[in-house]
Amino acid sequence: MQPKIKAKVACTDREVGEVIRVIVDPLSKEISHLVIASGGRELMVPADGNLSVATDQLIRLNCSSDALARYAPFRRADFISIHEVEIPHLERHLDVMPGEVLVPLPELEKNLSRRSFFTKFTNVIGAALALPLVFPVVKYLIKPMYQPFDNDWLKLGKVSQANQIDMPRLVKFEKTVHEGYLERKYEKSHWVLKASPELRKKIAAEPSEQAFRDSSGKVIWENDPESDVVVFSGKCTHLGCAYRWRKHRRFGQAFICPCHLSVFDLSGKVLDGPAPRPLDQLPMRVSGSGEIEIIDMEFKAGKAEQVRIV
Amino acid sequence: MLQPIYNWIDERIDLKTLQAKLLNEPMAGGARYAYVFGSVLLFVFAMQVVTGILLMFYYAPTADHAWASTKYIMEHVDYGWFLLSYHLWGSSAMIAVVLMHMSQVYLWGAYKKPREMVWLAGLVLFLLVMGFGFTGYLLPWDQRSYWATTIGVEIVDKVPVIGDFLGRFLRGGPVPGALTLSRFFVIHVMILPLSLMAIAGAHIFFFRKAGPAGPFKASKQELETKMEYFFPTQVWKDIVAMAVVFVIICALAIRWPHELIDEASPVASDLNPEPEWYFMFLFQLLRDPALSFLFSGEWGEFLGAIVLPSVFLLLLVALPFIDRSPERNIFKRPLALSSWLVVMISIAILTIRAYQFRE
Repeated sequence: MQPKIKAKVACTDREVGEVIRVIVDPLSKEISHLVIASGGRELMVPADGNLSVATDQLIRLNCSSDALARYAPFRRADFISIHEVEIPHLERHLDVMPGEVLVPLPELEKNLSRRSFFTKFTNVIGAALALPLVFPVVKYLIKPMYQPFDNDWLKLGKVSQANQIDMPRLVKFEKTVHEGYLERKYEKSHWVLKASPELRKKIAAEPSEQAFRDSSGKVIWENDPESDVVVFSGKCTHLGCAYRWRKHRRFGQAFICPCHLSVFDLSGKVLDGPAPRPLDQLPMRVSGSGEIEIIDMEFKAGKAEQVRIV
Repeated sequence: MLQPIYNWIDERIDLKTLQAKLLNEPMAGGARYAYVFGSVLLFVFAMQVVTGILLMFYYAPTADHAWASTKYIMEHVDYGWFLLSYHLWGSSAMIAVVLMHMSQVYLWGAYKKPREMVWLAGLVLFLLVMGFGFTGYLLPWDQRSYWATTIGVEIVDKVPVIGDFLGRFLRGGPVPGALTLSRFFVIHVMILPLSLMAIAGAHIFFFRKAGPAGPFKASKQELETKMEYFFPTQVWKDIVAMAVVFVIICALAIRWPHELIDEASPVASDLNPEPEWYFMFLFQLLRDPALSFLFSGEWGEFLGAIVLPSVFLLLLVALPFIDRSPERNIFKRPLALSSWLVVMISIAILTIRAYQFRE
């Protein structure tokens, strides 16, 4: 039981005054002292073994009234009110007030069904406002995510420029794309390789797809297995970085991706690193005027099988 | 002069009590420099908001102007280079201080009952901060930005079933482009800051409700005799720490201003694409020859960059519910101490190897 403010205080011989304040330890949240008004003085009495709470209206001190003088006088300036300090859950530990302080519920709200009616219908109307928005908002956000494939043939330069056998050449070309409101031109690059018959055989041995499909899954082009020109997509099959033709410590000249260090040989085969499939070949044809033409497809990176995304 | 204004406001909104409530928070064992991390984070974030808003005065979030407008900020706007560099170093500071703050809470055992909700809100904040780093990196639209985003979103794409949708949702299409920039921009400057402010508010509210944990070894008497309120000693220590961090970020921004490289382009170049230092361990995880038996091939990225971090995060979420012993002294929690060391050392080793194993 905790002493109430206004409780009477009695020493062994007589009643000496009343509790006017309570002092709380901010860490333990326990009452540490009572401030007692006695004979015109305010004294700080520790809440220790000498003090016992008889009823919540009566405190007993285990000393005579003459001994009261040994308690320190209370100095207001050494303390701040609990309204000026943030002590978590203090109200759960303290029950010293002279009782509850209440305000009445408005007359109209005393009827329980009315309250629950309003609570429920507030939720219903809230949902009625929000739900019709879900579908349009989702549609709004996913609008650009699924685009039809672009199956146009692009020119990559004359086949006669790729004159060195078994030496890949990075060919840059300009591509115009429509991205939402924006029509944008940017450079891309692929690797063009003029392969010797032996290399050609090695390339054919790789499980790289030679039939290319449109969005409906219909095959729209098959590369000529006899062609000596091969175009490798410039994207690494691991996570889509642009790989390079460099000298590797272990494998000599090879295609090396600078991101996660996948290594591919001239036939597109994975020699080392995390790449899950060989380099992607692009649909390629040589026009009557000797121009290399491609469909600039892109495939999902990081998959063992080739999945077209552009 | 200001006193009458203060009194006028106080009379209407009880400002004095509010102020007192905010500042008078009892701290068992007293104020310490060990407790500055949370306040420092709040300060670093506030500076990111200020510098970020200033950058938006000139930055244009479209694929055809983002790089040019960033270049304009760097080269032509007075002190633009400084604000941009401050914002970039500030983002690193954010991550560094988050790691210190989390480590401290972990080592101090401050996630334990009754502070579980503080810890959980903190984990959400950690994810938001990583999200800021990832989305902000794309905005200059230079080569570094472009490739880091390409790789990052490709990794999201590797989640089974929903990965393709998530990847396209983030990019606004099948491949990174103009709409990716718009999406990352709105996430970086609207969605993440609003979420962070809301959840940081909850974090601080939970913290004030639960109260600070205090030192992990001290007698009850010591805790009581050294007790101080948050104001003024801790506030002083916090502001000193903020000043130190501010000076460090400024010095880094002046000494190593941001270098804007070539505009984003999918063409093969001499650049070695890399994420920021705080993602380097994850980057290395996917390419480290010593780990390639685990993290290469079709499921490698998913395992390394999604499953592994998610499991780790779930462990952190579960931590206060698994570790229910009230013991907070780290030297009496050998499992907790050794797992912290293992995680930190692994991250350090992977990060160092990432810088060693460039092509």
